[in-house]
Parts: sequence; structure tokens; C-alpha cells
Amino acid sequence: MRSTFHGLETAKRGMYTQQGALYTTGHNISNANTPGYSRQRVNFEQTTPYPAPSMNRPDIPGQMGTGVEAGSIQRVRDSFLDVQYRGENNKLGYWESKMEAMKKMEEVMNEPSESGLSKTMDMFWQSLQDLAVNPTNAGARSVVRERGIAVANTFNYLSTSLTGVRGDLKNELSVTEKQINSLTSQIDKINKQIADVEPHGYLPNDLYDERDRLIDELSSHVSIQTSYQSSGGAASPIAEGQVTVNLVGKDGNFAVNLVGKSGANELKLSMEGPQDTVDTVTIGSQTLDVNDFLSQGEGKLRALIDTYGYSDKNGAAQGSYITMLNELDNMAYEFAKAFNEQHQEGVSPAEMEDPSVETPKFFQDAADASADLDNVDKAGFAQRMQIADELSNLDMIATASADNPTLGDSANVSALADIITSVELSYGEKPATFRAHFESVIGAMAVESQESLRLTQNSGVLRSAVEERRMSVSGVSLDEEMTNMIKFQHAYNASARMITLQDEMLDKIINGMGTVGR
Amino acid sequence: MRVTQSMLTNNSMRNLSSSYARMGQLQEQLATGKKITKPSDDPVVAMKGMFYRSNLTSIEQYKRNLSELYLWMDNSEAGIDQANQGLQRVRELTLQGMNGTLSEEDKKAVAVEIEQIKKDLVGVAETKVAGRYIFHGTDIGNSPIKDGTPADGSAPQVADNLTSAVIGSYNVEVSQGVSLKANVNPGNVFSQELFDTVHNIQKALESGDTDALDTELGNLDDVMKTLSAERSELGARYNRLEMIDDRLGQQEVVANRILSDNEDADIERVITYLKTQESVHRAALGVGARIIQPTLMDFLR
Repeated sequence: MRSTFHGLETAKRGMYTQQGALYTTGHNISNANTPGYSRQRVNFEQTTPYPAPSMNRPDIPGQMGTGVEAGSIQRVRDSFLDVQYRGENNKLGYWESKMEAMKKMEEVMNEPSESGLSKTMDMFWQSLQDLAVNPTNAGARSVVRERGIAVANTFNYLSTSLTGVRGDLKNELSVTEKQINSLTSQIDKINKQIADVEPHGYLPNDLYDERDRLIDELSSHVSIQTSYQSSGGAASPIAEGQVTVNLVGKDGNFAVNLVGKSGANELKLSMEGPQDTVDTVTIGSQTLDVNDFLSQGEGKLRALIDTYGYSDKNGAAQGSYITMLNELDNMAYEFAKAFNEQHQEGVSPAEMEDPSVETPKFFQDAADASADLDNVDKAGFAQRMQIADELSNLDMIATASADNPTLGDSANVSALADIITSVELSYGEKPATFRAHFESVIGAMAVESQESLRLTQNSGVLRSAVEERRMSVSGVSLDEEMTNMIKFQHAYNASARMITLQDEMLDKIINGMGTVGR
Repeated sequence: MRVTQSMLTNNSMRNLSSSYARMGQLQEQLATGKKITKPSDDPVVAMKGMFYRSNLTSIEQYKRNLSELYLWMDNSEAGIDQANQGLQRVRELTLQGMNGTLSEEDKKAVAVEIEQIKKDLVGVAETKVAGRYIFHGTDIGNSPIKDGTPADGSAPQVADNLTSAVIGSYNVEVSQGVSLKANVNPGNVFSQELFDTVHNIQKALESGDTDALDTELGNLDDVMKTLSAERSELGARYNRLEMIDDRLGQQEVVANRILSDNEDADIERVITYLKTQESVHRAALGVGARIIQPTLMDFLR
């Protein structure tokens, strides 16, 4: 036998559920602009119809509906798009940081310009030519000395500035390290909160959103892979569970746990390699060789290590800035050495006057002024290069060749000028002139920088395409919410109307029935 | 595909900022007049730019070197001309002295004139340009004349190394690996023979030794021949110098043009792009303003 109040109960359920849907709509509208928010939806479910099949079921026709209930409140999100987004975000993080670092390097090198190293060298060459034409002119001599100082200073400046920028990269590395650790510990905290909520059968949608947002952010720093474990208890079948975040190698050669059930593992960089380069990366209790670490996907951390420098398998320092600094040392050293050798072959006016005077070096190492350049350390020479002390006496500049030690002979100065333009020095595997070699160094830098710029744009476009698809699924559409609001409002009103109807029906039963003969 | 308001806002923001980026690039090209401001804008243009700049600098420098060559050659030419005139006069006077109509006193007077010419020749040999002796090869700090008026009354003595081939050429580089000699061969101009001959003529006139004058006249012709050969060599070299000057002038124009072709922005093209970009930007702004505005709210009651 069905209940007299059956209809009241059905209408009440309708009101409650529509009201819940309206509240959720309100929540969606409120969070329309919250970063990382995914729209939520009330899953309407019909309640168990009456009667249930059983021995003493009432013998009435069919099963009758008993109304609606909110089965669950679920966020609308496609986790496959999250994986794609993180992949692209990881690449973007790498190329963006690399581009920034390379841009700074280009700014320091400042080529082609009217003030870069190649211009300074050109001016030095010009001063040598002027002296070659007029070898007795004291003015031309002092210009050669001043321009020589300018060359040494330019090398000093470039090397010091690059070292300075490299120091900034080191700071950025340690800030990134802190950010990663802060993100993993936040993810861990949210994981724990989720573990507290889920066993009760609830879906902590807003915690999921926050956790996904943090994982997104982490993906721009390091390459990660996520997996989920159920929280147990009476967890809903659509509950996501606790996340495990692993740092993975590109070809799956390693997987190190960053966040898991047992908590977050701290990431720590050690900079004990040559020239303070990164040598190992420790995550929790696991220590990775930096070369293994660099085989993980991309991300900002790897870009910073790539540019700042790391020690390779053979223990040698590598990295964009290290390469450029070494190149400067190499160029300064080889140039100064060849220049000195040629200079010392010549005869200076001082020697013409007094044959016991020996022609001095032209460039010297600031750390050891008297040492022959063959015996000084090439590393860091660009920062220590300076003009020889002896040249404070302008008559020490050797203009003449040894065959013709006369004031008017300028064969040695011409030979010195040729060292800048046409003499091939052993800069790398292949001998090249100073100009040609410097051009190729700048060219290589420019290509690296251009590549990083292009790939930043590419991965930016790819990321925004995925982001768009993700927004298409999870983003709040105000028009949609508005439509829903009207839909739920009408249903709510209609349910309320049903109660009024029930009231009128009951009124009839209670007050209007059985009054015959009264 | 489901499209939401925030997607539209994000898209239009992204479009606007990339439009600004493009306009910024064009603005930079217009403001600097250069196609590129850093090597990564175009590595090839940057590398070429470095090469062309060095190339232009060296051409400018070689042009500057030429002025030194002109200075030396002009002055050498003037010196040789003066020496030649002096020797011509000596020759005339010698011929006068030889024809036997002159009295002993007259011959002495002629000898006095020749002595003056001899002193003048010593003076010319010691010509200095900007503090440098130009008739002594690369030994510019020392005079080519060791002793202009020896105490024993003999002929002026030239420096010992005057005929040395080592000091013979004062070279100036005029292009990569090519140098031009700026001076005349010191041994061929103010040589010991020259001073000896003039001195002997003077002495012969003083003593009235006509036979000796005959021999010395032959020597004088030899000296003058050497001098004029040296002078024509100088002339030929001067021609070459002028040709090099012309060539460097053309090279400079070409080098400037190549440098400019390589890295200067084509202003008309940049302005056209800027105008195009400007209208695209306006459209983007207009569309953004239109699509962000209305919601369903505007149409409900």
C-alpha cells in the first residue's frame, strides 16, 4: 500500500536536489575566474522506485518513481589533457629559461656593434697600421698602447660580465630548487587532506583542482609522471585517490619519487664540479649523477643547469656559459701569446739605442707579470689579461724587424697587425684567424639563442592549444551556468508547486472527505 | 567544441600581446634603422655584419695610409728635381770652364758657384719630413750625410750604410699583404759618386785642370742618368699609387653598400608592415571588445 504522503516526499527531494544544483551553479559562477578551477556538476540520480521486489510487496501496478537525489558532485575534467599540458609546459619551461640566459649572453657580447670586441680589435689593428706607416711618431705609439689596453679591458669586461650573469644563474638555480621543494611539500599536504576526506565517500573537488594546479606548476620545472592510489575506506568509485609524482628519465632509465604516500622528497643540487658546476642531484635519499638527471625530459631546472654548467661524464665542465667563458680565455690567450712572440722578435727604438735592452712582452698575465705566457694558466686568462708593465716606456714597442734595426723599419708592426687579420692561430681543432674564429663563436651563440627563441614560441603555441582544449572541457561558461540556473530554478519552483498541490489534496482528504450526513 | 568566455578572453589577450610584440619589433627596426639588434635575430646577417665592418675598417685604414705615401713621394720628387737643377747648372758651368776662353779668375768664380751648389745638394740630401730624413731609406733617424764639409777640404761624405739594400725600402701597406715603397733608393740619388764628381769639378776648376774636367763631365752625365732613372721609377710608382687610391675609393663605396644592404632596414617596407600590423591590431582590439561584452544576462529581463 503506498503512503498518503508519498508525493510530499518526492517533491521535497526535488526541491532539495534542485537547490543543491543551484548552489553548485553559484559556486561555478563565483569561481569563473579562479585559476585551475574546473566546473562542477551535480550528478542527478533517481531514487529507488517503489515498490522494491520482495515477498510482501504491495500488489500495485508497476514501480512508481520516488524522486531524485544528488548522487555526487563531480568536477568536469579530462586527465589525458592534463598529461599533455604538463608535457608541453615542461618544454616551454626549458626553452623559456634557456632563451632568457642566451639573451643575456648576447647582450653582454654585444655583436655586431660599434663597441664590441671585434670593433675594439679593428681599432687596435688600425692603430698598428698607423704606427707602421709612421714608426717614429710618439703619438702613434701611445695610441697603439692605449688600444692594446682597450683590447685587454674588453676581454676582462666580457669575461667578468659573463661570470656575473653566471652568478645570477646560480641564484636562480637555488631559487628554483626551493620552489620545487615548496611545490612538492604543498602537493604532499593536499594529498594528506584528500586522504582524510575520501574514505568518507566525498569527492574533494576543490582540493583536486588545487593539487592539479600545483602539479602543473611543478611540470614547468622538472619532467614528471603521475599515478594515483586509492585512499581506501568507503571511497567513492570516482574518487581520484592520492597522487604519486615521479621524476622520470626520458627513456624510462630511472624514476625517482618526488611525492608519494610517504611524503615529499627534497631535491638538492650539489655544485662541487670543476668551476663550481653542478655534479649531482639528490632527491630524498637517492643521489643521481647530473648527466643522468639531464636525461630527464626538459623543464626550467634542466635549462638552468645546461646554461650554468655541469660536469660531464669525464669530469669536465660543460654548459653554454662555461663554453663561452672558456672560448674567451682561449681567444685571449692564443692571441696574446702569438702577439708576444711576434713582438719579441722585433727591435724597439730603446734596443736600437742600447743593444743590451731586451724587447719585452706586449701582453702579460695580471697574476704573474713576469711569467712567460707559455707558463701561465689559460683558464681565466681573459680576466687577467693586461698590457705589459714595460710598455709604460713607449720606446719599448718593437717596430723594426731584427734584420733592419732602423727607426724607419716597420716590418714588425705590420707583422703584429697581421696577427689580427690574417695569421691563423690554433684556437680549436682547425687553425683560424682571430676574426674568422670570433665570427664563428658569435655565430654559434646566435644560432643557439635563435633556436631557443623559436622553440619557446613553438612550445608556447602548443601549450596554449592544449590549454584551450582543457578550458573547453573544464572552463566555466557563464551563459551555460545562467541557463542551468534558470533550468534548476524552474524545477525548484515546480517542485514547490507540487507541495502546494499535495497540500490541497491532503486538505481534501482531511477536511472534505466523509462529510456526508454531517 | 564547447567554447567559454574565458577561452575567448585568453585568446584575445594572447593575440593582442603577440600583435604588440610584432609592432615592437617593427618599432625597433624603425628606431635603429637596422634589420637586427642582436645576433639571434638573424645569425647569418650578424656574422656577415661583423665581417663587412672589419672589411670597411681596413679599407678606410688603407686609404689613410695613402696620405703618408703621397707625403713621401711628393717630397722625394721635389728633392730630386732640385738636385737635378743643381746638377744641370754644374754641367753648364763645367762646359763653360772647358772651352778655354775663361781666365783663371773667372774659373775660380765658377768654382765658387759650384761649391755653393754642392752645399745646396748636401742640404737637399738632408731633407726632413715630419722629423724624418727621407733620403736615407728606413734609417730615418740618421742623416744620409756623414760629414757635409770635411775639415781636410775633401768631398762631402755620405753615411756608410747608404747603399745597403737592407735599409733600401720604406714600405707602406696599401692593402692586405701588398705594400708600396714610399722612398727613392738612397744609393741612387745622393750618392758618394755625386758628391765626389761635383767636388772634383770644383777642384779642377780651381786648379784649371781642363783634362780632368773632361773626365768628370763623363762622370757627371753618369750621375745624372742614374738620378733621372730613379726619378722615372718614382713617377711610375706615383702612378700606381694614384691607381690604388682610385681602387680603394671604389672599394670603400662597395663595402659601405654591402654593409648597408646586409643590415640596414628597408624603411619603406618596415613602414608598410607597420601600417598593416596597425590595422590588424585595431581589428583585434575591436573584436576583443565586442566578444567580451555580452552575456546571457544582458537578455534576461
